[in-house]
Amino acid sequence: MENDRIPPERRRFFLTIMLSGIGAVLAAAAAWPVWQYLAPRKGVGEEEKVTIPRDQVPLGRTYFFTFRGHPAVVLQEKAGVFIALTAVCTHLGCIIKWLPEKGEYECPCHAGRFSSSGTVLGGPPPKSLESYPVSVQDDSIVIG
Amino acid sequence: MVLAKSCLLLLLTLVLPGVLFAQETVCIQCHGGQPGRLGEPVTLWQQSIHAANGISCHSCHGGDPTDFANAMSPARGFIGVPKEEAIPDFCGRCHVGVKEDYLQSAHGKALGLGGPQCVTCHGNHAVRMATPDLINPQDCTRCHDYGRADEIKSAVVETDRMIADLEHSLEALHRVGIATKEMRGELFSLRNDFHRLFHSVDVDKVRSQTADFQQKLGNIRNHGAAIEDELARRKLWGGGAVALLVLGGILALLLHKAYLDEEQR
Amino acid sequence: MAWRKKIMDWLDLRLGIRDLLEQNLTKYLLPRNINVWYTLGAVLITLFVLQFVTGILLLIYYVPNPAEAFQSVSRIMNEVPFGWLIRYLHVVGSNIIVIALLLHMLSVLFMKSYYRPRELTWLSGFLLFNLSLGLCLTGYLLPWSQLSFWATTVATDAAGAIPLIGDEVVRFLRGGAMVGDVTLGRFFALHVMGMPLLLGLLVGLHLFCVRRAGVSRPPFGADYETWEPQGSFRHQEHPGGIPFFPHYTTKDTAVIFFFLAALLGVVFFAPWLFLPPDALEPADPFVTPAHIKPEWYFLWAYQTLKIFPNKILGLGVQVGLMTFLALLPFIDRGPERRPARRPLFVACYVLGVLLIAGISVWGHYS
Repeated sequence: MENDRIPPERRRFFLTIMLSGIGAVLAAAAAWPVWQYLAPRKGVGEEEKVTIPRDQVPLGRTYFFTFRGHPAVVLQEKAGVFIALTAVCTHLGCIIKWLPEKGEYECPCHAGRFSSSGTVLGGPPPKSLESYPVSVQDDSIVIG
Repeated sequence: MVLAKSCLLLLLTLVLPGVLFAQETVCIQCHGGQPGRLGEPVTLWQQSIHAANGISCHSCHGGDPTDFANAMSPARGFIGVPKEEAIPDFCGRCHVGVKEDYLQSAHGKALGLGGPQCVTCHGNHAVRMATPDLINPQDCTRCHDYGRADEIKSAVVETDRMIADLEHSLEALHRVGIATKEMRGELFSLRNDFHRLFHSVDVDKVRSQTADFQQKLGNIRNHGAAIEDELARRKLWGGGAVALLVLGGILALLLHKAYLDEEQR
Repeated sequence: MAWRKKIMDWLDLRLGIRDLLEQNLTKYLLPRNINVWYTLGAVLITLFVLQFVTGILLLIYYVPNPAEAFQSVSRIMNEVPFGWLIRYLHVVGSNIIVIALLLHMLSVLFMKSYYRPRELTWLSGFLLFNLSLGLCLTGYLLPWSQLSFWATTVATDAAGAIPLIGDEVVRFLRGGAMVGDVTLGRFFALHVMGMPLLLGLLVGLHLFCVRRAGVSRPPFGADYETWEPQGSFRHQEHPGGIPFFPHYTTKDTAVIFFFLAALLGVVFFAPWLFLPPDALEPADPFVTPAHIKPEWYFLWAYQTLKIFPNKILGLGVQVGLMTFLALLPFIDRGPERRPARRPLFVACYVLGVLLIAGISVWGHYS
């Protein structure tokens, strides 16, 4: 760059403009992520619910469905009492099965056992199954 | 005082942690030192996937791992060495799904009549993570010709390779901080379902379900690919920011020189 | 712009700011041969501000409770928009700060800028260095990963080597016999409030010392003469020097930009560089990972303790070294500042750097 030809005052002027421009772009590039980070996202109460016809879940039996992208199960433990849980075993991720004769869930991978409310009864699972709120509305069950 | 305190703070040095592992079971303490047949299982077990996951002697054989006197007491649940016909039940106490499919299979129906059980192919103490290499000419031709074994192997090999590749990709994502627990869980579940399916040794059954498995694997693959795309996008923006900063630095230096030159005039 | 002049007039009438700005910016002259190493102070201030801002942002979503800490960090990394960016900036930022601190300290040592009348600047700087390492240590417990838990266990264990009161000190540091809830509580309080407050005060003191005594002249050139106040206080002037603003601030800006470029380079292209695999697994008090090691800036201390068969001796050597460093201005009292004429010092300096670097590398591979 032949700096000798361009007088320093002009160089200074243009460089300052360009540097300020870059500074502004960088400031905007920094502000955008911070704004997104702080802006409120969808709250817990605003996430989708799943509605299932009541007769899909016979007494003492389960119904498997997808809940917010993951496998889930709802059981009619006693007449009118429904319990919804995640169907993903907390050990390594296999899908649990309901054993009506034993009244408990069993994981086919390493025989982890869970009660009807999701607590661990035996085997390797480290945590109980997460449960979801269930409400009964006429002929349907609403989960979530 | 502040100086001494800060020196102390600075001296956050680490000593070799030493042996902070859980205490050895009495089983290992006794059998580990014995020669020949009685000591062999320990060395074999130490190389196994069971050992790597904290499954020890008492997990399968029962007994009390903390008390020498009652270590092998039936009252404390000690089972000892299972007879051949009892092996599937023995392993099936944990590997429930596999036992179910095995018992319904041709292999399972030949149990006690010269047919294979778990230990035949998987070994008993040096059990490794299952791979299609367990299906090979040396082992399968002990009882019959390799033809049908080869057929079923071809049927599982491709899906198994997809599973292994996915495991690598997910591991790479995990290494950069992505929450892969759910995907790894899904993959694990699929892998287990697929491996247990093999135990039915029914080629048609395997073939008919392969497409379904591969589709589910494909879903995980797509999910992973979407994350990889997002990571690539981040790198692009990052590269741009780095370039802008370097450019800014250079401009600042030129500006510095301009000021010096101006002053010298 | 007329309104700018109006605002300046209004403030100048009430606070005399024009004069203040002149004295500290345009009429504040620096030595003409001032070099790039003098920019590291501004770089450090920028990086600390970044840590402070990213730290506050992380505080919004982080939960300081062992049952939820790891999960909250995972949520920040995966669910909160740009959470990954804020977290990586904070983690990588802390490592770049340690690098800049080391460079800053090494350049001050080389140019003997700690010579009178700047002993207080050196002392406050030494404390700042230790405090920064303390911030790093308390900070990396917070994610409650395997690395967090076990590195803290071993680090607090080392205090047990102190004769007589060792065990009490360990209990005091941890809040109990083992690392647990109470440890997280006190480390969190220290990292988020206690240490930053102290850091702020010390930085204020450090900057005040720098400005009050005046910037030192780089000790290079055969005609260099050491300056010191004779009998009473004098601010070191540099007549004929270059104005701080805008001449030197443009240089500050350039180096700051280059450091930020390096920071972002690591954040976007090698974020795993300062996060070993153990930092990605949740803490398990019953399983010690096989090759647990401290962060790279503590490896020298780790390896030194391993070399000395006697723990007290190992600890003592390090305390000795640190004390020597802190008291250096009172030990190395000669007026000669030019490195070319301090062969003994330069030899020890080079050997010292090589030794510490070598021990650190050894610590990494052992």
